[in-house]
Amino acid sequence: MPGLAALDRDILFFGGKGGVGKTTLAAAWAVRSAESGLRTLLVSTDPAHSTGDVLEATLGSEPQEVTDRLWVQEIDPAEEADTYIRDVRDRVRGTVPPRLQAEVDRQIDIARVTPGAEEAAVFDRVTWILASVGERYDRVLFDTAPLGYTLRLLSLPETMATWMAGLIGRRRHVNALARMWRTVAGSETDERAPDDPILTVLRERHQRFTDTRTKLMDAGRTGFVLVATPEHLAVAETERAVETLRRYAVPIAALVTNRVRGGGGEAAYRDRLRVTAGDMPRIELEEQRVEVRGVGPLLQLAAQLADGTPA
Amino acid sequence: MSETRGSAWRQWWRAVRDVYEGLYFAPYRRELYREFRDERDAFLMLTVSDALGVPNPVAFHTLELYPHLIEQFHEWHLRAGMERAPEGGFRCC
Repeated sequence: MPGLAALDRDILFFGGKGGVGKTTLAAAWAVRSAESGLRTLLVSTDPAHSTGDVLEATLGSEPQEVTDRLWVQEIDPAEEADTYIRDVRDRVRGTVPPRLQAEVDRQIDIARVTPGAEEAAVFDRVTWILASVGERYDRVLFDTAPLGYTLRLLSLPETMATWMAGLIGRRRHVNALARMWRTVAGSETDERAPDDPILTVLRERHQRFTDTRTKLMDAGRTGFVLVATPEHLAVAETERAVETLRRYAVPIAALVTNRVRGGGGEAAYRDRLRVTAGDMPRIELEEQRVEVRGVGPLLQLAAQLADGTPA
Repeated sequence: MSETRGSAWRQWWRAVRDVYEGLYFAPYRRELYREFRDERDAFLMLTVSDALGVPNPVAFHTLELYPHLIEQFHEWHLRAGMERAPEGGFRCC
C-alpha cells in the first residue's frame, strides 16, 4: 500500500490551490490517524475555515477533542496576534521600572499593527505546535492556507534562526567587551556577571526556530501532501509548489490528484502531474459521488487514500 | 624601622603604577570602553530598528527585549546629541 506508507509521518501538511479538496483529505487522514490509536491534532491555518463543516463540529482557536484522540483547532491570525501581544506584555511585567512600564506597553502594542504581525504570530504558534509533536500529540496535520502564504511560512524558520544566530553572536561580543572593561577597570572581577536576560530570550528563540527547521526538513517525520485536481490552474500551482518546497528542502510525502472523473480532457493534466511527481508517491482519487462529511464517510475516503493507486 | 621601609616601598610601587597607568593603561581602558559602547549601540540599533522605521524581520519575536533596552536607548539619544527621543522610537523622556 504505497499511499499508506507515504502518509505515515508525524507531521503532515496538506496544501494546494483553494477548492481542490485539501481540507476534506486532511480531515479524513486525521480521523483515520486517531482511529488507529494515535493522539492526533488537526490544525487549520486556512482563514476560510471549513474544517468544522467537514467534521460537523463547532471549533475554536484552542484544540478541541471532536472524537476519541482527535483534537482540532482553527487558527485565526488576528486572534493569534492579539494573544501573542497580550502574552508578551504579561511576561515583561515586573522586569521594567514602573515609570517606564507605560512606554514599554505602548511600544509592544505598536508592534501589533505593523505589517506582518499576524503572519509572525501564526508562525510562532506553529513552532509551539511542532514542539508538542511526540509530547502531547503523536501526529499533527495542518490544513494549510493558500499555497503562497504557506510556502512563505515554511521559509521563515531558516530566516529567523539565521537572524537570531547573528544577534546572539553580536550580543556575546558586547558581553565579552563588557567583561574585559570590568576587568581593566578593576571592579569586582571575581564576582560572576549575572546571566544576561537578553541572551536568554534570544537563545530560546534560536533553539525553537532551529528545532522547527530541523523537523520540517526531516523526511522521516515530516511530509507535505500536495493536492491538485486535473485542471489547468491547480496543476500550474502544484508545479510551482514542488519547486519551492524543494528549494526549502521540505520533503514531499505525496502528490494527490483529487476528483479524477476519467474524462479525456483530464489526460494532459494527469500526465503533467505524473511528470511533476517524478519518483515521489502519487495517488489518484476518483471524484466522490456524494459530498464527504462526518466521521464515517471521512474514514471511507481515508481508506481510498491509504490504498491509493499510483496510477 | 621595617615599617618605614615597607611604606616607602609601597609609595614607590604606587608611583610606578601611576606612570604606567597614565602612559599605557588609561588610553587602553578608554579605547576598550569606546569599543564596548559602540558594539552595544550597534546591538541596540539592530533590535529596535523596527521602531525607528528600519524593517527588521525578527522584531515581532524580540519584543520582550524592550524593557532591557529602553534605558539604554535614552542614554544613546542623549549621547548622540538629541535632547529628546527621536520620533518613532521609545518616548523615554
